[in-house]
Amino acid sequence: MKEKTVNTVKDNRFELLKELLLEDDREKFTALSEEIVQREKLSKKVNPLIDSKINDLRQNFPEYFGSTITETIKTQIRDSQDEVVDALYPIMGKLIKKAIVSEITKLSERINKTISEKFSVKQMFRRFIKGKNTDAEDVLQEVFEASIEQVFIIEKDSGLLSGSYSKGDIADKDMVSGMLTAIKSFAEDAFSKENQNLEDIKFDNFQLTIKNFKTIYIAIATSGVLTTDFKENLADNTNNLAEIILRERKYLEDETKLNVMIERHLIA
Amino acid sequence: MIAKKVLLVGNFGVGKTSLIRRFVLNEFSEDYISTIGVRVSSKIVSYQNKDIKLLIWDVAGTSEDEKIPKAYFLGASAAMYVFDLSREETYNNIEAFLDSIKQLSNLKEVTIVGNKKDLLTAEELKTVTNAITVPIDLVTSAKENDNVADAFLQLASQAIK
Repeated sequence: MKEKTVNTVKDNRFELLKELLLEDDREKFTALSEEIVQREKLSKKVNPLIDSKINDLRQNFPEYFGSTITETIKTQIRDSQDEVVDALYPIMGKLIKKAIVSEITKLSERINKTISEKFSVKQMFRRFIKGKNTDAEDVLQEVFEASIEQVFIIEKDSGLLSGSYSKGDIADKDMVSGMLTAIKSFAEDAFSKENQNLEDIKFDNFQLTIKNFKTIYIAIATSGVLTTDFKENLADNTNNLAEIILRERKYLEDETKLNVMIERHLIA
Repeated sequence: MIAKKVLLVGNFGVGKTSLIRRFVLNEFSEDYISTIGVRVSSKIVSYQNKDIKLLIWDVAGTSEDEKIPKAYFLGASAAMYVFDLSREETYNNIEAFLDSIKQLSNLKEVTIVGNKKDLLTAEELKTVTNAITVPIDLVTSAKENDNVADAFLQLASQAIK
Protein backbone atom coordinates (compact mmCIF):
# COMPACT_ATOMS: atom_id res chain seq x y z
CA MET A 1 0.00 0.00 0.00
CA LYS A 2 2.85 2.30 0.99
CA GLU A 3 4.74 1.40 -2.19
CA LYS A 4 1.70 2.26 -4.24
CA THR A 5 1.60 5.78 -2.72
CA VAL A 6 5.21 6.32 -3.61
CA ASN A 7 4.51 5.22 -7.16
CA THR A 8 1.62 7.65 -7.46
CA VAL A 9 3.76 10.52 -6.28
CA LYS A 10 6.45 9.46 -8.78
CA ASP A 11 3.87 9.33 -11.56
CA ASN A 12 2.63 12.80 -10.71
CA ARG A 13 6.12 14.14 -10.73
CA PHE A 14 6.78 12.47 -14.01
CA GLU A 15 3.63 13.98 -15.49
CA LEU A 16 4.65 17.41 -14.15
CA LEU A 17 8.10 17.03 -15.67
CA LYS A 18 6.54 15.95 -18.98
CA GLU A 19 4.29 18.98 -18.93
CA LEU A 20 7.19 21.31 -18.24
CA LEU A 21 9.46 19.81 -20.87
CA LEU A 22 6.93 19.16 -23.66
CA GLU A 23 4.72 22.22 -23.32
CA ASP A 24 5.62 23.57 -26.75
CA ASP A 25 5.22 20.21 -28.40
CA ARG A 26 1.87 19.72 -26.74
CA GLU A 27 0.63 23.06 -28.08
CA LYS A 28 1.80 22.15 -31.55
CA PHE A 29 0.16 18.76 -31.24
CA THR A 30 -3.17 20.35 -30.18
CA ALA A 31 -3.02 22.86 -33.03
CA LEU A 32 -2.22 20.09 -35.48
CA SER A 33 -5.02 17.83 -34.31
CA GLU A 34 -7.46 20.77 -34.45
CA GLU A 35 -6.36 21.48 -37.99
CA ILE A 36 -6.91 17.83 -38.95
CA VAL A 37 -10.35 17.77 -37.32
CA GLN A 38 -11.24 21.04 -39.06
CA ARG A 39 -10.03 19.68 -42.37
CA GLU A 40 -12.10 16.50 -41.95
CA LYS A 41 -15.17 18.56 -41.11
CA LEU A 42 -14.55 20.83 -44.07
CA SER A 43 -13.92 17.96 -46.48
CA LYS A 44 -17.19 16.33 -45.40
CA LYS A 45 -19.01 19.48 -46.47
CA VAL A 46 -16.93 20.38 -49.49
CA ASN A 47 -16.22 16.95 -51.04
CA PRO A 48 -19.78 16.33 -52.32
CA LEU A 49 -19.75 19.80 -53.90
CA ILE A 50 -16.40 19.15 -55.55
CA ASP A 51 -17.55 15.71 -56.74
CA SER A 52 -20.68 17.17 -58.25
CA LYS A 53 -18.67 19.94 -59.93
CA ILE A 54 -16.19 17.37 -61.32
CA ASN A 55 -19.08 15.29 -62.67
CA ASP A 56 -20.64 18.37 -64.18
CA LEU A 57 -17.33 19.31 -65.82
CA ARG A 58 -16.82 15.77 -67.03
CA GLN A 59 -20.23 15.73 -68.69
CA ASN A 60 -20.30 19.29 -70.01
CA PHE A 61 -16.62 19.95 -70.66
CA PRO A 62 -17.07 20.43 -74.43
CA GLU A 63 -19.91 22.88 -73.81
CA TYR A 64 -18.03 24.94 -71.19
CA PHE A 65 -14.58 24.95 -72.74
CA GLY A 66 -15.02 23.61 -76.30
CA SER A 67 -15.06 26.98 -78.01
CA THR A 68 -12.22 28.34 -75.84
CA ILE A 69 -10.06 25.30 -76.52
CA THR A 70 -10.83 25.38 -80.23
CA GLU A 71 -10.01 29.09 -80.35
CA THR A 72 -6.80 28.53 -78.39
CA ILE A 73 -5.72 25.69 -80.65
CA LYS A 74 -6.53 27.77 -83.73
CA THR A 75 -4.50 30.70 -82.38
CA GLN A 76 -1.63 28.41 -81.42
CA ILE A 77 -1.58 26.78 -84.84
CA ARG A 78 -1.81 30.17 -86.56
CA ASP A 79 0.92 31.76 -84.44
CA SER A 80 3.32 28.85 -84.38
CA GLN A 81 2.82 27.01 -87.64
CA ASP A 82 6.42 25.85 -87.87
CA GLU A 83 6.32 24.28 -84.42
CA VAL A 84 3.00 22.57 -85.20
CA VAL A 85 4.35 21.20 -88.46
CA ASP A 86 7.51 20.02 -86.68
CA ALA A 87 5.41 18.28 -84.02
CA LEU A 88 2.89 16.71 -86.39
CA TYR A 89 5.12 15.86 -89.33
CA PRO A 90 6.67 12.71 -87.85
CA ILE A 91 3.22 11.35 -86.91
CA MET A 92 1.37 12.41 -90.07
CA GLY A 93 4.28 11.40 -92.25
CA LYS A 94 4.29 7.91 -90.77
CA LEU A 95 0.51 7.58 -91.19
CA ILE A 96 0.57 8.79 -94.79
CA LYS A 97 3.50 6.53 -95.58
CA LYS A 98 1.71 3.58 -94.01
CA ALA A 99 -1.49 4.26 -95.98
CA ILE A 100 0.38 4.67 -99.27
CA VAL A 101 2.44 1.51 -98.72
CA SER A 102 -0.74 -0.42 -97.90
CA GLU A 103 -2.55 0.83 -101.03
CA ILE A 104 0.46 0.19 -103.28
CA THR A 105 0.81 -3.32 -101.85
CA LYS A 106 -2.86 -4.02 -102.61
CA LEU A 107 -2.52 -2.56 -106.11
CA SER A 108 0.64 -4.54 -106.76
CA GLU A 109 -1.05 -7.76 -105.59
CA ARG A 110 -4.00 -7.09 -107.90
CA ILE A 111 -1.71 -6.33 -110.85
CA ASN A 112 0.34 -9.47 -110.21
CA LYS A 113 -2.80 -11.57 -109.97
CA THR A 114 -4.22 -10.09 -113.15
CA ILE A 115 -0.92 -10.46 -115.04
CA SER A 116 -0.55 -14.09 -114.02
CA GLU A 117 -4.12 -14.75 -115.15
CA LYS A 118 -3.88 -12.73 -118.35
CA PHE A 119 -0.58 -14.17 -119.44
CA SER A 120 -1.54 -17.78 -119.14
CA VAL A 121 -1.29 -19.67 -122.43
CA LYS A 122 -5.04 -20.07 -122.50
CA GLN A 123 -5.70 -16.34 -122.09
CA MET A 124 -3.00 -15.34 -124.58
CA PHE A 125 -4.49 -17.65 -127.16
CA ARG A 126 -7.99 -16.24 -126.48
CA ARG A 127 -6.66 -12.67 -126.80
CA PHE A 128 -4.88 -13.52 -130.01
CA ILE A 129 -8.18 -14.70 -131.51
CA LYS A 130 -10.15 -11.74 -130.07
CA GLY A 131 -7.39 -9.25 -131.08
CA LYS A 132 -8.94 -6.05 -129.73
CA ASN A 133 -7.31 -4.65 -126.61
CA THR A 134 -3.64 -4.25 -125.85
CA ASP A 135 -2.15 -6.19 -122.92
CA ALA A 136 -1.78 -2.99 -120.89
CA GLU A 137 -5.43 -2.06 -121.49
CA ASP A 138 -6.50 -5.52 -120.42
CA VAL A 139 -4.52 -5.38 -117.19
CA LEU A 140 -5.66 -1.86 -116.29
CA GLN A 141 -9.28 -2.73 -117.00
CA GLU A 142 -9.11 -5.67 -114.65
CA VAL A 143 -7.41 -3.70 -111.88
CA PHE A 144 -9.61 -0.62 -112.03
CA GLU A 145 -12.75 -2.40 -113.17
CA ALA A 146 -15.77 -0.11 -113.35
CA SER A 147 -18.70 -1.12 -111.23
CA ILE A 148 -22.17 0.21 -110.43
CA GLU A 149 -22.37 1.21 -106.76
CA GLN A 150 -25.83 2.76 -106.53
CA VAL A 151 -28.83 3.44 -108.73
CA PHE A 152 -31.65 5.86 -107.97
CA ILE A 153 -34.80 6.32 -110.01
CA ILE A 154 -36.28 9.64 -108.96
CA GLU A 155 -39.39 11.61 -109.89
CA LYS A 156 -38.08 14.70 -111.66
CA ASP A 157 -40.12 17.48 -110.03
CA SER A 158 -40.75 16.23 -106.52
CA GLY A 159 -37.47 14.43 -105.97
CA LEU A 160 -39.38 11.46 -104.53
CA LEU A 161 -37.58 8.15 -104.83
CA SER A 162 -39.35 5.55 -106.98
CA GLY A 163 -36.78 2.76 -106.84
CA SER A 164 -33.16 2.11 -106.02
CA TYR A 165 -30.25 -0.31 -105.88
CA SER A 166 -27.24 -0.10 -103.61
CA LYS A 167 -24.20 -2.28 -103.02
CA GLY A 168 -24.04 -1.10 -99.41
CA ASP A 169 -26.46 0.45 -96.96
CA ILE A 170 -27.74 4.02 -97.33
CA ALA A 171 -29.08 5.65 -94.18
CA ASP A 172 -32.01 7.51 -95.73
CA LYS A 173 -32.44 6.96 -99.44
CA ASP A 174 -35.43 9.32 -99.64
CA MET A 175 -33.49 12.17 -98.14
CA VAL A 176 -30.53 11.51 -100.45
CA SER A 177 -32.81 11.52 -103.49
CA GLY A 178 -34.40 14.78 -102.28
CA MET A 179 -31.03 16.46 -101.77
CA LEU A 180 -29.75 15.12 -105.09
CA THR A 181 -32.77 16.65 -106.82
CA ALA A 182 -32.19 19.94 -105.01
CA ILE A 183 -28.49 19.98 -105.99
CA LYS A 184 -29.44 19.11 -109.56
CA SER A 185 -32.08 21.88 -109.69
CA PHE A 186 -29.63 24.36 -108.19
CA ALA A 187 -26.86 23.50 -110.66
CA GLU A 188 -29.24 23.60 -113.62
CA ASP A 189 -30.68 26.92 -112.47
CA ALA A 190 -27.32 28.48 -111.73
CA PHE A 191 -25.17 27.34 -114.63
CA SER A 192 -27.20 26.05 -117.52
CA LYS A 193 -28.73 27.83 -120.45
CA GLU A 194 -31.78 26.87 -122.49
CA ASN A 195 -33.05 24.08 -120.23
CA GLN A 196 -29.88 22.00 -120.20
CA ASN A 197 -29.75 19.20 -117.65
CA LEU A 198 -27.02 18.27 -115.23
CA GLU A 199 -25.57 14.95 -116.38
CA ASP A 200 -22.39 14.21 -114.47
CA ILE A 201 -21.13 14.81 -110.95
CA LYS A 202 -17.72 13.56 -109.83
CA PHE A 203 -16.83 13.06 -106.17
CA ASP A 204 -13.93 11.18 -104.60
CA ASN A 205 -13.58 7.89 -106.49
CA PHE A 206 -17.16 7.92 -107.68
CA GLN A 207 -18.87 9.31 -110.71
CA LEU A 208 -22.56 10.06 -110.71
CA THR A 209 -24.13 9.77 -114.13
CA ILE A 210 -27.58 11.28 -114.52
CA LYS A 211 -29.91 10.33 -117.35
CA ASN A 212 -32.84 12.68 -117.69
CA PHE A 213 -36.21 11.61 -119.01
CA LYS A 214 -39.51 13.46 -119.15
CA THR A 215 -40.91 12.66 -115.72
CA ILE A 216 -38.07 10.77 -114.07
CA TYR A 217 -34.32 10.80 -113.94
CA ILE A 218 -31.97 7.91 -113.26
CA ALA A 219 -28.84 8.59 -111.23
CA ILE A 220 -26.11 5.95 -111.32
CA ALA A 221 -23.05 6.08 -109.09
CA THR A 222 -20.09 4.16 -110.48
CA SER A 223 -16.56 3.49 -109.32
CA GLY A 224 -13.40 2.50 -111.18
CA VAL A 225 -12.25 3.49 -114.65
CA LEU A 226 -15.18 3.94 -117.02
CA THR A 227 -14.19 2.64 -120.43
CA THR A 228 -16.03 3.69 -123.56
CA ASP A 229 -17.56 0.20 -123.78
CA PHE A 230 -18.80 0.38 -120.19
CA LYS A 231 -20.30 3.85 -120.75
CA GLU A 232 -22.03 2.76 -123.94
CA ASN A 233 -23.42 -0.36 -122.31
CA LEU A 234 -24.60 1.62 -119.32
CA ALA A 235 -26.30 4.22 -121.50
CA ASP A 236 -28.03 1.51 -123.56
CA ASN A 237 -29.20 -0.40 -120.50
CA THR A 238 -30.41 2.78 -118.79
CA ASN A 239 -32.36 3.81 -121.86
CA ASN A 240 -33.92 0.35 -122.12
CA LEU A 241 -34.89 0.42 -118.44
CA ALA A 242 -36.39 3.91 -118.76
CA GLU A 243 -38.35 2.84 -121.82
CA ILE A 244 -39.89 -0.08 -119.95
CA ILE A 245 -40.72 2.04 -116.89
CA LEU A 246 -42.21 4.90 -118.87
CA ARG A 247 -44.30 2.52 -120.95
CA GLU A 248 -45.55 0.65 -117.87
CA ARG A 249 -46.04 3.39 -115.27
CA LYS A 250 -47.16 0.82 -112.70
CA TYR A 251 -43.47 0.21 -111.95
CA LEU A 252 -43.20 3.74 -110.56
CA GLU A 253 -45.89 2.92 -108.02
CA ASP A 254 -44.35 -0.35 -106.87
CA GLU A 255 -40.88 0.11 -105.40
CA THR A 256 -40.19 -3.62 -104.98
CA LYS A 257 -40.96 -4.43 -108.62
CA LEU A 258 -38.96 -1.43 -109.79
CA ASN A 259 -35.96 -2.52 -107.71
CA VAL A 260 -36.11 -5.96 -109.37
CA MET A 261 -36.18 -4.26 -112.79
CA ILE A 262 -33.13 -2.16 -111.89
CA GLU A 263 -31.17 -5.25 -110.87
CA ARG A 264 -32.26 -7.15 -113.98
CA HIS A 265 -31.39 -4.40 -116.47
CA LEU A 266 -28.42 -2.63 -114.92
CA ILE A 267 -26.72 -4.93 -112.45
CA ALA A 268 -27.07 -8.51 -113.68
CA MET B 1 -45.91 3.79 -97.79
CA ILE B 2 -47.08 7.06 -99.29
CA ALA B 3 -44.30 9.63 -99.74
CA LYS B 4 -45.04 13.32 -100.24
CA LYS B 5 -42.91 16.34 -100.87
CA VAL B 6 -43.87 19.27 -98.66
CA LEU B 7 -42.42 22.77 -98.56
CA LEU B 8 -41.47 25.05 -95.72
CA VAL B 9 -41.13 28.62 -96.88
CA GLY B 10 -40.55 31.90 -95.06
CA ASN B 11 -38.08 34.71 -94.45
CA PHE B 12 -34.64 34.10 -93.00
CA GLY B 13 -34.61 33.65 -89.25
CA VAL B 14 -38.31 32.91 -88.75
CA GLY B 15 -37.50 29.50 -87.27
CA LYS B 16 -38.33 27.10 -90.10
CA THR B 17 -35.19 25.10 -89.48
CA SER B 18 -35.82 25.07 -85.72
CA LEU B 19 -39.32 23.70 -86.36
CA ILE B 20 -37.82 20.91 -88.48
CA ARG B 21 -35.09 20.26 -85.92
CA ARG B 22 -37.74 19.91 -83.25
CA PHE B 23 -39.80 17.60 -85.44
CA VAL B 24 -37.18 15.63 -87.37
CA LEU B 25 -33.95 14.18 -86.12
CA ASN B 26 -32.26 13.05 -89.30
CA GLU B 27 -30.73 15.87 -91.24
CA PHE B 28 -28.44 16.34 -94.16
CA SER B 29 -25.00 17.84 -93.77
CA GLU B 30 -25.08 21.53 -92.89
CA ASP B 31 -22.39 22.38 -95.46
CA TYR B 32 -24.64 22.13 -98.49
CA ILE B 33 -27.53 24.13 -97.13
CA SER B 34 -26.11 27.64 -97.39
CA THR B 35 -24.87 26.95 -100.91
CA ILE B 36 -27.96 25.55 -102.55
CA GLY B 37 -30.56 27.26 -100.35
CA VAL B 38 -32.59 24.22 -99.41
CA ARG B 39 -32.48 21.50 -96.78
CA VAL B 40 -34.29 18.21 -97.35
CA SER B 41 -35.30 16.19 -94.29
CA SER B 42 -37.56 13.19 -94.02
CA LYS B 43 -40.01 12.15 -91.35
CA ILE B 44 -42.70 9.50 -91.17
CA VAL B 45 -45.93 10.74 -89.64
CA SER B 46 -49.01 8.77 -88.80
CA TYR B 47 -52.19 10.41 -90.02
CA GLN B 48 -55.62 8.72 -89.94
CA ASN B 49 -53.97 5.33 -89.37
CA LYS B 50 -51.75 5.79 -92.41
CA ASP B 51 -48.00 6.19 -92.40
CA ILE B 52 -46.91 9.07 -94.59
CA LYS B 53 -43.31 9.83 -95.36
CA LEU B 54 -42.87 13.58 -95.56
CA LEU B 55 -39.92 14.83 -97.59
CA ILE B 56 -39.66 18.29 -96.09
CA TRP B 57 -37.97 20.87 -98.33
CA ASP B 58 -36.92 23.77 -96.14
CA VAL B 59 -36.48 26.56 -98.67
CA ALA B 60 -34.25 29.37 -97.43
CA GLY B 61 -35.72 32.83 -97.70
CA THR B 62 -38.91 33.60 -99.58
CA SER B 63 -40.13 32.64 -102.99
CA GLU B 64 -39.49 36.21 -104.17
CA ASP B 65 -35.81 35.72 -103.64
CA GLU B 66 -34.38 35.40 -107.13
CA LYS B 67 -31.55 33.16 -105.96
CA ILE B 68 -33.93 30.30 -105.22
CA PRO B 69 -34.47 27.96 -108.16
CA LYS B 70 -38.14 27.80 -109.04
CA ALA B 71 -37.74 24.03 -109.46
CA TYR B 72 -37.66 23.71 -105.64
CA PHE B 73 -41.38 24.41 -105.62
CA LEU B 74 -42.34 21.83 -108.25
CA GLY B 75 -44.03 18.57 -107.35
CA ALA B 76 -44.94 19.57 -103.81
CA SER B 77 -48.13 18.20 -102.29
CA ALA B 78 -48.35 20.76 -99.49
CA ALA B 79 -46.65 23.91 -98.27
CA MET B 80 -46.26 25.73 -94.98
CA TYR B 81 -45.51 29.44 -94.79
CA VAL B 82 -43.70 30.23 -91.57
CA PHE B 83 -43.37 33.76 -90.18
CA ASP B 84 -41.90 35.20 -87.00
CA LEU B 85 -44.61 36.55 -84.69
CA SER B 86 -42.06 38.92 -83.15
CA ARG B 87 -40.87 40.47 -86.44
CA GLU B 88 -43.33 42.52 -88.43
CA GLU B 89 -41.32 42.42 -91.66
CA THR B 90 -41.87 38.65 -91.87
CA TYR B 91 -45.65 38.98 -92.15
CA ASN B 92 -46.09 42.44 -93.66
CA ASN B 93 -46.29 41.13 -97.22
CA ILE B 94 -47.74 37.77 -96.33
CA GLU B 95 -50.45 37.85 -99.02
CA ALA B 96 -47.91 38.51 -101.77
CA PHE B 97 -45.69 35.71 -100.49
CA LEU B 98 -48.60 33.28 -100.37
CA ASP B 99 -49.64 34.16 -103.93
CA SER B 100 -46.11 33.63 -105.09
CA ILE B 101 -45.83 30.22 -103.38
CA LYS B 102 -49.19 29.12 -104.81
CA GLN B 103 -48.18 30.23 -108.28
CA LEU B 104 -44.81 28.45 -108.21
CA SER B 105 -46.05 25.24 -106.62
CA ASN B 106 -49.53 25.05 -108.17
CA LEU B 107 -50.96 24.48 -104.71
CA LYS B 108 -54.34 25.91 -103.78
CA GLU B 109 -53.76 26.00 -100.04
CA VAL B 110 -50.80 26.93 -97.89
CA THR B 111 -50.66 26.24 -94.15
CA ILE B 112 -49.80 29.47 -92.32
CA VAL B 113 -47.79 29.19 -89.14
CA GLY B 114 -46.66 31.96 -86.79
CA ASN B 115 -43.55 30.84 -84.92
CA LYS B 116 -41.69 32.14 -81.82
CA LYS B 117 -44.85 32.41 -79.75
CA ASP B 118 -42.63 32.25 -76.64
CA LEU B 119 -41.30 35.75 -77.37
CA LEU B 120 -44.73 37.40 -77.01
CA THR B 121 -47.09 38.00 -74.12
CA ALA B 122 -50.69 36.84 -74.55
CA GLU B 123 -51.77 40.41 -75.20
CA GLU B 124 -49.04 41.02 -77.80
CA LEU B 125 -49.92 37.73 -79.50
CA LYS B 126 -53.54 38.82 -79.79
CA THR B 127 -52.54 42.18 -81.29
CA VAL B 128 -50.27 40.50 -83.84
CA THR B 129 -52.77 37.85 -84.92
CA ASN B 130 -55.46 40.54 -85.30
CA ALA B 131 -53.15 42.65 -87.42
CA ILE B 132 -52.44 39.85 -89.91
CA THR B 133 -54.78 39.95 -92.87
CA VAL B 134 -54.94 36.22 -93.56
CA PRO B 135 -56.19 33.48 -91.22
CA ILE B 136 -53.34 31.87 -89.29
CA ASP B 137 -53.60 28.09 -88.98
CA LEU B 138 -51.30 27.64 -85.99
CA VAL B 139 -49.04 29.56 -83.66
CA THR B 140 -45.99 27.57 -82.59
CA SER B 141 -42.87 27.73 -80.50
CA ALA B 142 -40.06 25.54 -81.72
CA LYS B 143 -38.12 26.48 -78.59
CA GLU B 144 -40.81 25.25 -76.23
CA ASN B 145 -42.03 22.48 -78.56
CA ASP B 146 -45.47 24.01 -78.62
CA ASN B 147 -47.80 22.97 -81.49
CA VAL B 148 -44.86 21.81 -83.63
CA ALA B 149 -46.17 18.27 -84.22
CA ASP B 150 -49.65 19.70 -84.92
CA ALA B 151 -48.25 22.00 -87.59
CA PHE B 152 -46.65 19.08 -89.42
CA LEU B 153 -49.76 16.94 -89.01
CA GLN B 154 -51.74 19.70 -90.67
CA LEU B 155 -49.15 19.70 -93.45
CA ALA B 156 -49.55 15.91 -93.80
CA SER B 157 -53.33 16.23 -93.98
CA GLN B 158 -52.98 18.88 -96.69
CA ALA B 159 -50.53 16.64 -98.57
CA ILE B 160 -52.85 13.65 -98.84
CA LYS B 161 -56.01 15.61 -99.69
